[in-house]
Amino acid sequence: MRLIVRDDSHSASAYVAKYIIDRITAFAPTPAHPFVLGLPTGSSPIKVYQILVEKYKAGEVAFENVVTFNMDEYIGIPREHPESYHTFMYTHFFSHVNVHPRNIHILNGNAPDLEAECVAYEAAIKARGGIDLFLGGIGPDGHVAFNEPGSSLASRTRVKTLAYDTIIANSRFFGNDIEKVPKMALTVGVQTVLEAREVVIIIAGAHKALALQKCIEEGVNHMWTLSALQMHPHPMIVVDEDATLELKVKTVRYFKSIEAVAAAQGFEQILPSKVRTGPRPISKPLEPAPEVKEEPSILLPKPTTSTLLAAPATEYPVRSHTPELIPDRMGSRIAAR
Amino acid sequence: MPSATSTSRERITKFTNCRLLKGDELMEQDLWVSSSTGKIVKSQEVFYSHNSIPDATIDLGGRIVSPGLIDVQLNGSFGFNFSQISEDTHSYGKSLRQMNRLLVQTGVTSYLPTVTSSEKEVYHLALPHLGPSGAHRLPEEGSESLGAHVEGPFLNPGKHGIHPLEVLTEAYSFSDLTAMYGSANISNIKKITAAPELGNMQAIIPEIISKGVIYSIGHTEATYEDAGAAVANGATMITHLFNAMRPLHHRNPGVFGVLGIAESLPRPYFGIIADGIHLHPASIKIAYASHPDGFILVTDAMHLVGLPDGTYDWTNERRLIKMGSHLVLEGHADKIAGSSITLIECVSNFLNWSGEGVGKALKAVTATPAAMLGLSRDKGSLESDADADLCIISEEVGADGQKKLLIDQVWKFGVKLFDRSEQITNE
Repeated sequence: MRLIVRDDSHSASAYVAKYIIDRITAFAPTPAHPFVLGLPTGSSPIKVYQILVEKYKAGEVAFENVVTFNMDEYIGIPREHPESYHTFMYTHFFSHVNVHPRNIHILNGNAPDLEAECVAYEAAIKARGGIDLFLGGIGPDGHVAFNEPGSSLASRTRVKTLAYDTIIANSRFFGNDIEKVPKMALTVGVQTVLEAREVVIIIAGAHKALALQKCIEEGVNHMWTLSALQMHPHPMIVVDEDATLELKVKTVRYFKSIEAVAAAQGFEQILPSKVRTGPRPISKPLEPAPEVKEEPSILLPKPTTSTLLAAPATEYPVRSHTPELIPDRMGSRIAAR
Repeated sequence: MPSATSTSRERITKFTNCRLLKGDELMEQDLWVSSSTGKIVKSQEVFYSHNSIPDATIDLGGRIVSPGLIDVQLNGSFGFNFSQISEDTHSYGKSLRQMNRLLVQTGVTSYLPTVTSSEKEVYHLALPHLGPSGAHRLPEEGSESLGAHVEGPFLNPGKHGIHPLEVLTEAYSFSDLTAMYGSANISNIKKITAAPELGNMQAIIPEIISKGVIYSIGHTEATYEDAGAAVANGATMITHLFNAMRPLHHRNPGVFGVLGIAESLPRPYFGIIADGIHLHPASIKIAYASHPDGFILVTDAMHLVGLPDGTYDWTNERRLIKMGSHLVLEGHADKIAGSSITLIECVSNFLNWSGEGVGKALKAVTATPAAMLGLSRDKGSLESDADADLCIISEEVGADGQKKLLIDQVWKFGVKLFDRSEQITNE
């Protein structure tokens, strides 16, 4: 887990925006090898989008070879509704940059068959080679996308009923009329997020401090769905000072010191190169690498990343070898590739 | 940023890095227009449903995009006078079409061709040409008539201005109007200026507005009570406020008085000629402050607008002298004979005199006149599905600190018809 603390929400957003730009630049996407970006809606990411748009207009980043997948969308409100996530994305991001509409994927909350829509969405993510970077935000109850407390941490894209709290919170966008608030949404699952090669979460504001504390300092728990991020090989959470209010001073100091030491050593907390550039199609055969016995870095539960994506978790530098203790573990029942 | 000049046959053009006039505010937003529908596009819908991106993107470098300007009182321009019928009546339509293509270059994309008080025959010959162009929607035809404005002849001789006294008359029933204008021509008329106190006009007003014609109070000796009664009967406009009517008197405020909210009547729209001659800037400011949502800038320009200075023949052997935007009747140097100012110059004047923002000044020639005409959905608006009539406007501040708005480009139905930068390079 990388936890990056910045003084205020603006510098946290700027950090995230710069990080995404650097990732896209290093990835050097092409039409055949696009960068696949997962995107959220909500108040925390707005500033990130603003900065991305500014940088695009300044010519510092281009999105023509970026494929996007959005996290969620309401069911049953028109796509052009001012509160739809289609509208949010168009207003804050897509209308200002050069993402081609055919590279944009947002769940269709008006699909005749919502189940089929969800299955197709997962299939589309796989068809694009998996998500390279999933940007996310969280709710005050620690939910990521619409995976509200109690959501299965193995969940995939599906129809979700909104919690009563969320409906009340959202009613401010619908003329304070609870009747007008959509009661259901389509959302990617926790597992869908965890399968991304990298997950970056932005959290700002004191009202999210408790959620951050639960997700960082406590164990994996379906009541705080973001805590599942602890199982991901490459998560990063970027927060402002206000969001750290519930954390132990020790925790904050610890993560700050890691960042400071890393910077002093002349490197950012960067990803292994394979994750940075994605599964690039090999143009000429490379020297056959010496046979190495693959040992997973994480044993239980085994992230499905390792079986489903082209850059599986087993390819990360293996640091610790824990002997296999359980002869028949659940992970082995998952069909291998 | 990609930037391209567009050819006239492209389908969707996107304007970016620009400030859109929405209501009376300027908002940083993109605008998509289609030359195939001639309308402003619901960009989000097109983007998601058709996976389409614009055929051309134009970076405006922060300039203003305004809806095309609307002049609801224009007597002619570039030498063509709507009220003048030459011997060769066939040339009228041809000259009108030529004028439309020139007029659009001043930023006026739609207007009410105004016919001043004339003999009956003039109406019968002219009005068939002056009706709304409606469904044609051909951008290359230039500026578009929204219907004729008949200013007269039911005007008060005491406030005739330069309208010839001998043709002024009174109406006692609606049939007097149909006899004057021709019954087939009523549908070509969008607005009528008449004095409410004359003849039986008060009683005729409801019938006029039932035909979809705007009734405008003007050239009148109306008292405050007369004007209030006219508004109660359905008058929704005042023709060139202050000019050709009784001045504001503190014991009887006259027509101007109805801009107060007296007797809970709806307040009418009103035209203002901001040429620096017809009205003192302070009067304009007072009128604006009293009812900003009704404030419409008009030129009342004569056909000499667009022509060089000099003396020109006019109707009934009279001659007009043009000196810049000044127009007087020869031999009557005190008689203002309409103006020869362009609408955008009026907007610049108002901007300097009022201290209001550009958005509020431009609203007086876009959204407000469109609302007065009941055309808010199609004209004077940059909302989706409105007609893609646009002006690209840049702001200049002169050495004297005076602001000036310049029409850089004019688009009609999603097609560019005028570009100032191309004009300069062509010369």
